Amino acid sequence: MRLILRNLDTIRGILDKNKKLACLKPIINAIDGFYFGTDKVTSLPHILDHMDLKRYMTFVIVGLLPATIAAVYMWGLRVLAVIAVSYIFGGIVEAAFAVIRKKEIHEGFLVTGLIFPLILPPTIPLWLVAVGVMFGVMFGKEVFGGTGRNIFNPAIVGRIFLTVAFPQMMTTSWSHPFTHGLGGFVNYSADAVAQATPLALFKAEKIVTHYGDLFFGNTMGCIGETCRAGIILGGIFLIAAKISNWRLPLSCLLSLIVFSTLGNIFAPDIFAPALFQILSGGFLFGIFFMVTDPVTAPCTRAGKWIGGALFGFLVVLIRGLSGYVEGVMFSILLLNVFAPLIDHVVVDVKYPKLKT
Amino acid sequence: MKKMRTFKGGYRFLNFEGQPKDILEEASIPSRVTIPLRQGFGGEGDCLVNPGDKVSAGQIIGAHDYGVSSPVHASISGVVTEVKRFNYFKRDCLMVSIQGDGSPEYQRATGATSAWEQLSEEAIERLLYLSGVTALDREGIPTRMRSSVILPEDVTSLIIHGVGSEPYNTSLEMQLQGKHMLNLVEGIRILRKIMAKAKVYLAINCQRKKILEQINKLTAQYEWLEVCPLEPRYPQGFDEMLVSAILGQKFPYGYSAANIGVVILNVQAVLQAYEAVVEGKPLIERTIALCGPAFKEPLHIKARIGTALNDIVSPRIKEGITPRFVLNGILTGPELKDLTLPIDKTYAQILAIPENHKREFLSFLQFGPLSDSYSHTFVAQAYSKAVKSCETNMHGEARPCISCNYCEEVCPVGIIPHLLSKYVQRSIIDETLMNLRIFNCIECGLCSYVCPSKIPLAKHIKEGQEKLTVSGCDRNQCILPYFSNLRGIEEYRGAKQL
Ligand code: SF4
Ligand code: SF4
Repeated sequence: MRLILRNLDTIRGILDKNKKLACLKPIINAIDGFYFGTDKVTSLPHILDHMDLKRYMTFVIVGLLPATIAAVYMWGLRVLAVIAVSYIFGGIVEAAFAVIRKKEIHEGFLVTGLIFPLILPPTIPLWLVAVGVMFGVMFGKEVFGGTGRNIFNPAIVGRIFLTVAFPQMMTTSWSHPFTHGLGGFVNYSADAVAQATPLALFKAEKIVTHYGDLFFGNTMGCIGETCRAGIILGGIFLIAAKISNWRLPLSCLLSLIVFSTLGNIFAPDIFAPALFQILSGGFLFGIFFMVTDPVTAPCTRAGKWIGGALFGFLVVLIRGLSGYVEGVMFSILLLNVFAPLIDHVVVDVKYPKLKT
Repeated sequence: MKKMRTFKGGYRFLNFEGQPKDILEEASIPSRVTIPLRQGFGGEGDCLVNPGDKVSAGQIIGAHDYGVSSPVHASISGVVTEVKRFNYFKRDCLMVSIQGDGSPEYQRATGATSAWEQLSEEAIERLLYLSGVTALDREGIPTRMRSSVILPEDVTSLIIHGVGSEPYNTSLEMQLQGKHMLNLVEGIRILRKIMAKAKVYLAINCQRKKILEQINKLTAQYEWLEVCPLEPRYPQGFDEMLVSAILGQKFPYGYSAANIGVVILNVQAVLQAYEAVVEGKPLIERTIALCGPAFKEPLHIKARIGTALNDIVSPRIKEGITPRFVLNGILTGPELKDLTLPIDKTYAQILAIPENHKREFLSFLQFGPLSDSYSHTFVAQAYSKAVKSCETNMHGEARPCISCNYCEEVCPVGIIPHLLSKYVQRSIIDETLMNLRIFNCIECGLCSYVCPSKIPLAKHIKEGQEKLTVSGCDRNQCILPYFSNLRGIEEYRGAKQL
């Protein structure tokens, strides 16, 4: 601890002397702030909650850990490389903007940097990860003014950009997960195969994958989305810690169940049954870790219920009727678009104009 | 039992370190006191003494009868040394300094009797008024001597509360020890005699099972009295929340409960009313809870009004720490910076917490067995017995709002603090803010407390209110159209300005 403090002081001394390097201050301050808490004191109220944003983001990462560890097991150590690339290149963009704006670096990136790789296919080339994360952070967040101001979830922006710009690499090649022994912990990567994901299988051949396989992740799919057991564990952990609000995931879930069941009754060939829809694709990952991103979700209580209902409806609709196999990404994007509007309406209804 | 009355939002502060023990210590009679002539509800009294005058404890030294006010007494016997204006809580106030002779005796009011039932209402009111008790609490006790903004017969509900929803509370057990429990019931009966039309509600912390049981037994025979166990969730002890929880009535935010005919008193005020009527005791001393980890031993102390803060706190502070002193409520109370100033009738608690400038290593990875938080991210939230630390560190850097909605979830009056704060920060000051009910904010400070981005929301909201008022939007526009029969509004405004 002392060592860190001393090193930081030396670096800061150098920066203070050298005018050209002075612009790197935010980075040093971020490192300093990362290790040590604040020395500021309160004014009114005289005491403050011990929670801060750093802890908030740390908890989201902890919530993502089960899915991440499962991902490493299933897809091999290459996953770690993907994550590292995402952090490094996303971090560069984040730091660059902080330097340009002369603002502090905010913690939000810690989460984006981990979520982004988890929603990519395991065979993704590393350079594509770098391109995606840089695009996502830049156009999903920084152009709006940084953490707290962004309308879209940066990870989703990056992911959709890749899907649209490089559809070949994003949708056709998947890998078989490791399922035995030490699996991916001792292998670098799983073999790429040209096979379809469960959702694609349903769309093309009406095959409903075995639910057990879906639940534990023995299927094709994105890096962090397949081990649903781990996702549910992490998601419930976050809700129990009051990090994510329970309303949104619940309303998404209910809405998906209602609309997919309805669809399944009237057009079983187009709409898969509810349980299958829940357990396939990125739905669970989406509702627990992405829809709940507080910045981009509706913030009012009623807005959360409405937004969740909309989300479930969109997922069922896109999965069933559009040319795309998976609808979660686009639904999240659309939800992000509608969130301010939903909130606006809710606020207007809740606070009617004053009588005069 | 009926469903517990409560309100939406709020937050339960559990087990902060340094709760005052159930001990009552008598402070020694100070050799010198300084008595502000404006204490509690009402305007400043005219000074009735001159330097050099001999006064005895209990003698009225300040009063006037042309506006809302209650008399002020000399709290010790001795000689007036000085009458001077001081800056007292940001307002100019006349103060009388008395050099005491050390005798603990005091004058009692004549006419006080334990057979108070034979007294006329007017005699009781006179006793209450002359004792100075009528200045207590937010709107005073109404008498026909203009001690409050309404008259006793206008009172429709009387709420007496000992809820204790703050992080630190005066101990109810200590206040109601021994015969004080009976005194409380007698006090309530006395007050009910002058406010004959009022229904009385006794709001008690629902976790004080023993006290509730005793009170239920003692009061079962009075059909005009209802005991309401309330959950001690902050800010239940605020007038606004008591009215909405107990009476289910809308509160005219920004005005006082008295304007809708409700009088709210805490337990100590009722006990003092009892002493005034039965024993003729003037309000020259009061019980103050000394709370917080910076005190060597947090406890309750009975001290004469006008004693310098220094005399009370200095000998009791732990060595080697820089304390911050706060008056009445750690979330909302003013900081006591000048310890030479005296205590007055309104002092219920003095809190002392250490200033903490220490930076914590890897704070976001700590388990936090002592850390209080609205979120459930510390070990301390996992077991209810955890004792929470209490100091002034910010516990995090200021960050932009992430719309986590904690602030809306806890806001007891159902407004959206982060939205209001965003408007105020962007200087959008117009009717939108009023429509969002910015004037409903009761300044409980809870939103600022829970915000993980450390945004001073309550401060922003207050700023917004002030700017709105300057731009010509008055809080009256939000309140008056919704209440047809507010009483004593003019007087209330007058009393606030005086
Ligand atoms: S608690 Fe703070 S960060 Fe959360 S919504 Fe309110 S202002 Fe924003
Ligand atoms: S907005 Fe006002 S009433 Fe609501 S929590 Fe904040 S300070 Fe309290």
